[in-house]
Amino acid sequence: MAKETGAREGLKGWLNPGKIGKFGIERLAWLLMRLTGLGLLAYFIGHIYETSHILDGKAVWDKSLEMTQTTEGHLFLALVIGMCVFHTGNGIRLMVAQMGYGLGKAERPDYPYKPQSINMKGKACIYATLGMAALAMWYGMAVMFA
Amino acid sequence: MMILRESIIMKIHYGTAIGALFLTVIHIMMRMTQDFHESLEYENVIANYESVGYALLLELLLILISVHGFNGLRVILLEMNQGPIYEKVVTYGCLAGMAALIAYGSRTIIMTNMGMV
Repeated sequence: MAKETGAREGLKGWLNPGKIGKFGIERLAWLLMRLTGLGLLAYFIGHIYETSHILDGKAVWDKSLEMTQTTEGHLFLALVIGMCVFHTGNGIRLMVAQMGYGLGKAERPDYPYKPQSINMKGKACIYATLGMAALAMWYGMAVMFA
Repeated sequence: MMILRESIIMKIHYGTAIGALFLTVIHIMMRMTQDFHESLEYENVIANYESVGYALLLELLLILISVHGFNGLRVILLEMNQGPIYEKVVTYGCLAGMAALIAYGSRTIIMTNMGMV
């Protein structure tokens, strides 16, 4: 019997743009949820390390803070804001969906077998979340570059 | 050792997400109580840490985000590969990472709150 390898594509499967084209915005949301989650965890570890510099005195704190007070630092923090807003918005959408809301009513599976759960409500939520993330990044940059 | 069902773990995952969301909003609002750059000055940050209420908020936030973050990492790693040994290594590795991060962050919060700077 041939070995099943379909679920073992790993990172190549994640990043394959053909899959986003084939499965649509829901697939992009799935990918972004994982990438933003990993990005936020890496940022959180860095943030805990950076804030621990407060124990080393004012000079070390000011020096460590300088890294985020540059244009690149501000852009990085804006990216973190965007990741945070997308991860939160999409996470709330997933929680609501797991509670059974917005999935549509079950009906007889007829051709072309469109699943009720992949509907315009879900797509609209994903687009709205992407928009909110972009707005939050813009607001964050306005505050940081002020 | 107590084994948690995946359904219970996901409830913890969602609970920590909602809790962390509320506390993160408060954490960010604290930076908005004054000018953003001014709020990050050494004296202001020390004053934040020395407030017992805010230190407790930071400790709770540290625990919630660490649990949520490392469980999320565990879920991602288990999606990519499976197997009894691999799953054990991933689960215990994530638990160890979570415990180490909570310990390191707590050290900063406790020492600064007690004026050991």
